[in-house]
Amino acid sequence: MLTADGIRAALDGLLERRTDQTRLTSMGAGSDDLDDGRAYLAATVEGGWHVPTWPSAHGGRDASVAENQLIGSVLREYVVPDLYPFAIGLGMVGPALLAHGTAEQQERWLRPIASGAEIWCQMFSEPEAGSDLANVALSAERDGDVWRLGGQKTWTSRAMWSKWAICLARTDPEQPKHKGLTMFVIAMDAHGVDVRPLRQMNNDAHFSEVFVDDAVVSDAWRVGDVGEGWRVAMTILSHERAGAGSRGGGDGAKRGSRVPTWIADLAALGALDDPVGSHTVRRDEAMSIYAADMASRWTAQRAADEARSGGSPGPAGSGAKLRTVSSYKRRAFLANRAAGAAGMLEDGHGYIETVTAPSMSIRGGTDEIQRNILGERVLGLPGEPRLDRDVPWRESRKGLL
Amino acid sequence: MSVRIAPEPVVVDELITETAGRLFGELCTHEAVQAAEDSGGAPDIWEAFCETGFDLIAVPEEAGGSGGTLAEAIEVLRLVGYHSAPIPAAENGILGGWLLAQAGLERPDGLVTVVPPRAADGGWSGGETCSVSLNGDGTAVLSGEAHRVPWARSAETVVCVCEFDGTSTVVSVPASECTITPLPNMAGEPRDTVSFDGATGRAAPAPHGVDADALAQRGALSRVALMAGAIEKMCQLTVSYTNERVQFGRPVARFQAVQQHLVWAAQDAALVRMAAEVAAREATRGDAPFEIAAAKLVANQAAARATKACHQAHGAMGMTQEYPLHHFSRRLWSWRKEYGSDAHWSAVLGQMATGVGADGLYPLITSGTAALA
Repeated sequence: MLTADGIRAALDGLLERRTDQTRLTSMGAGSDDLDDGRAYLAATVEGGWHVPTWPSAHGGRDASVAENQLIGSVLREYVVPDLYPFAIGLGMVGPALLAHGTAEQQERWLRPIASGAEIWCQMFSEPEAGSDLANVALSAERDGDVWRLGGQKTWTSRAMWSKWAICLARTDPEQPKHKGLTMFVIAMDAHGVDVRPLRQMNNDAHFSEVFVDDAVVSDAWRVGDVGEGWRVAMTILSHERAGAGSRGGGDGAKRGSRVPTWIADLAALGALDDPVGSHTVRRDEAMSIYAADMASRWTAQRAADEARSGGSPGPAGSGAKLRTVSSYKRRAFLANRAAGAAGMLEDGHGYIETVTAPSMSIRGGTDEIQRNILGERVLGLPGEPRLDRDVPWRESRKGLL
Repeated sequence: MSVRIAPEPVVVDELITETAGRLFGELCTHEAVQAAEDSGGAPDIWEAFCETGFDLIAVPEEAGGSGGTLAEAIEVLRLVGYHSAPIPAAENGILGGWLLAQAGLERPDGLVTVVPPRAADGGWSGGETCSVSLNGDGTAVLSGEAHRVPWARSAETVVCVCEFDGTSTVVSVPASECTITPLPNMAGEPRDTVSFDGATGRAAPAPHGVDADALAQRGALSRVALMAGAIEKMCQLTVSYTNERVQFGRPVARFQAVQQHLVWAAQDAALVRMAAEVAAREATRGDAPFEIAAAKLVANQAAARATKACHQAHGAMGMTQEYPLHHFSRRLWSWRKEYGSDAHWSAVLGQMATGVGADGLYPLITSGTAALA
């Protein structure tokens, strides 16, 4: 029987305990570090501690939902680095391979994801397919036992670190846009794959354009059936939303302390000292964010549990993502405001978070797309008019209006 | 019967708007602005700006300036903001040039910058640790450090306002006497640390009405003008982009969810432009503490809303360095912190409102500073 003390006994030999001084980057902002995450995953993979619900043969420990929850809460007591570089593999590709992959695919790819040995990216968005993801044009044509891929992806996060990508491609342009899609795994070092990083306004270069020119992919690397790419993509995206909801926090309360590090930092700046005057506004805002965070975390936990118990995280993930990014943005702007004029400097408190914050409600599906999903699938509101539903993609791709 | 005489209108010569707009339009390309950020300055743009005489606009001709009204200088600053021109137009002219002229100090050749003054609440002081001692012969010795001094690394002269024996004193120090540590703000504009330790310069008492408070107001007005231009341009970029960008078979600007962002941005652009023009007009006529405080607060709040709306409507494209949106959003996030945060100007306005009492509140809102007398 797994107990919290039993988990601590195992983790104490592997990881450092979190302290009040522990500060970590969030969502990779301002950092290109791969080593800390890799060392953490390498240390925890034998016990299956980071992805407990995965099969023990593939880097997990066949944990039940309850065990997984317990492990997650104990892990919070330890220094878990920002796993941004590894997040696509751990949070999205892994679950998708477990749901849709063949035994050979799971055998080949899951463990190196869990151990941090291999980084993944997701080749989804294209210049003409962002919010309208089903409009992807990158083509895959069958050639005997292989497929030949050609086209362009963009906003591909982590592409320059990645060994593999999961790539949404159009296999039948005569079908309506959601139907002619198929999912493939492509090696980023394959002939014909060219990665060009884009620099962002926060000075990171974490996403790229990827040009694919007649790259060859074995049919054994197709994930799911031909024409089933949209269904696989939906599995991946629902995990992305739920994952962003459960991890985007930047919270870091050590065990026994209820104060998150971001509030401790504000307090250390003296920004919450004065019970009257302008500081009152900050106290009020800080408590409002904290309350929203707690509600958000519990909802995300529920969505994650649903996902781990075999189901898809579903639309609850969209709500979690909306709340988590709103909270990230509010925290960033509050921290920066609390720093006063010094906060405008590049070395000021909250600088990197402030210039990163706007991306949070854009990446992984904009707020507007998330609200649309909530409106249509949770509230059952009438859908947007979809003129392109039954029209061959070849005709609808440039727009029907 | 008493006749109320309307104040004389404050008119900005259209030639100024045209000339400055054309100059910046040609020089301040996306690449040039990015290059200025990488290298910490744009001497070629500054030189072209100086050739027009705009560098000393609103500084009296008898003090070596170009003449013109404060409202005209503010219009030039609005265009600096609109084109994200990487130049210290405010510091050299209506702040530094004004202080030197008011104190009757000689204006040395080359760029002049200004140490932002200390706020009463200590919230945004630039020169909190500085002190001055005066010698009988008009020279002064400064010590301590000033923070977030715009373009100090490129300046020939650093000007500050100090209290000495209860009198406001303007001090002008050659930058060569100081140790300057470069630091960028969020937008990559120079906001340097200036260490004075024993720097010697010229000092003169400031005339009545010229002190740290007056500099704070003028500085805030300069930022409002820059912000008005930046928000307007950011809004225009967003309208263009969302009309070109097609998703789900139509331009994204046809979606109501996106239109709402555009409306927020457009409202904020109009609001800040109006606040800037009213404050500039009143400051041109005389004191305008109410209009300036209100304008800076409006601009700060609008900057937060409008940058959110414009980034959201742009999607991922707006987060890249190769697309120009960030030149404006990062400047806005920096400028809203300069010369007074929301909290500072809220407190100032609150004091004015409580000072005039319940019966004075409506006249204060409708008549502004005139109601404070």
